[in-house]
Amino acid sequence: MKTIIEAQGLTKVYKGGILAVDNVSFAVNEGEIFGFLGPNGAGKSTTIALLTTLLSPTKGTATINGIDITKHAYQARLELGFVSQDLAVEDVLTGYDNLRLQAGFYHLTRTEVHDRIAEVLKMVDLTARAKDKVETYSGGMRKRLDIACGLIHRPRILFLDEPTLGLDIQTRREIWKYVNTLREKNKMTIFLTTHYMDEADSLCDRIAIIDRGVIKTLDTPSALKEAIKHEVPNPTLDDVFLHYTGKEMREDFTSKEESFKARNNIRRARR
Amino acid sequence: MNVKLLLSDIYWVFWREIKKFLQQKARLMMVVIQPLIWLVLMGNSMSGLTRNPQAAQMLGTGNYLDFMTPGIMIMTALFGGVFGGITIVWDRRTGYLNKMLAAPIYRAAIPLGKLLSIGLQTMLQALIIVIIALFLGVHFKTGILGIVALLAIAGLFGIIMGGISLSLSSRIKSMETLMAVSNFLTMPLMFTSNAMFPTNAMPGWLKAIAMGNPVSYAVHAMRTISTQGWIWHDILPALAALFGIMILIVALAIRLFSKSVN
Repeated sequence: MKTIIEAQGLTKVYKGGILAVDNVSFAVNEGEIFGFLGPNGAGKSTTIALLTTLLSPTKGTATINGIDITKHAYQARLELGFVSQDLAVEDVLTGYDNLRLQAGFYHLTRTEVHDRIAEVLKMVDLTARAKDKVETYSGGMRKRLDIACGLIHRPRILFLDEPTLGLDIQTRREIWKYVNTLREKNKMTIFLTTHYMDEADSLCDRIAIIDRGVIKTLDTPSALKEAIKHEVPNPTLDDVFLHYTGKEMREDFTSKEESFKARNNIRRARR
Repeated sequence: MNVKLLLSDIYWVFWREIKKFLQQKARLMMVVIQPLIWLVLMGNSMSGLTRNPQAAQMLGTGNYLDFMTPGIMIMTALFGGVFGGITIVWDRRTGYLNKMLAAPIYRAAIPLGKLLSIGLQTMLQALIIVIIALFLGVHFKTGILGIVALLAIAGLFGIIMGGISLSLSSRIKSMETLMAVSNFLTMPLMFTSNAMFPTNAMPGWLKAIAMGNPVSYAVHAMRTISTQGWIWHDILPALAALFGIMILIVALAIRLFSKSVN
């Protein structure tokens, strides 16, 4: 199996000395759904920001499809799609225009733009609503549009940062369906973070659990459960998670921005 | 650096801002209503005070509206531009900034595209002010060509204010603080300039400040064009100064922005 993401000693120290990611190394295989789990402030978002070139590592590096993210950030960006947890679509624009904009950012040529937009709209079943403004979309439709934006340049790897945050169970299932299709039909590698253990369990081929900037364990969901059987009879992934990250609540966010986002997400989920 | 890609990136950032601007009906209405209120209310009430020979001499024209129209254009540019940086703070909060940064676009394209859109919006607002002013009987001495020049200067000034705001927004990450700082900047800039009152009517110390205020350069050049004519030895130095300030501020905005996202 080919390795498509390889992190080597990835380290990020924020201003003020907060160590968010501490010498993290792992490899993601081509075509797998790789789950990245951890409590709030564990370093998940920072790791994604490093891999997607939004932040530069303090130490270490990573390769995306063989391209070094610190030396060739521009090329690395072409290989990856990034769908953040923020639901960053433009409400006042139509779905089509949101995708048009994204196609522009990825320098798609005028001739391929139309077909490509039609292609990604079909992938997320939004063709019929493409000409409507996003403010008329439901939460699930927005998320699908956001995912479509991340697919416009046919990336090899899609980063999904908590793709089902704040969505109801029906919509979450629907999103899983699309994620699975992407992997099966398009042979795409998916790097996913989530707080829902059932989601990770049913979607992911392998799971890494990170806490306080360090990867605690990395294996298939069944192997992870198997490993703690001697402690908990019939363990679920919840038990695995608690086993590796402890039971206390986390309120030590690494940055103001992150704590703002966490609060905002909680608010959004309640809506 | 690939210039073609850079221009394409700038274009798409610009496209996004303009498209959003045009979708916001209430915002478009304000663009029309605000200058209308200024010109009709302020212009008319002040005309009563200025309808005497001494005032006319200070204003350089018999009609306060003639005097004030360039001032209103710059004031609108100032208010429009100075909040331009808020879009960056907003993009940062909504996550759209990260979405753009994860794409293979030049970092400099983000402030440049936003500044271009601020420049165009300012010119559009200035055009609306010209149209309203024409209805109110304001006379533009240099005709259509002069009006085009007025729009261009207003756009340039909008970019300067937008650049200041973008520079601030690279450091100030909270919306409230940026608003407070922007407000703090606009009032003194406005009232220590010749936009509303002729410098001849000011006490010496205020006059000295007004002469150094970039708002005054812009207004002076515009007012000369619209009420006096093409008096180049008056217009050119002011334009050169404005242009120099613009280059410096745009460079600063790009530098601070690029630093803030790295």
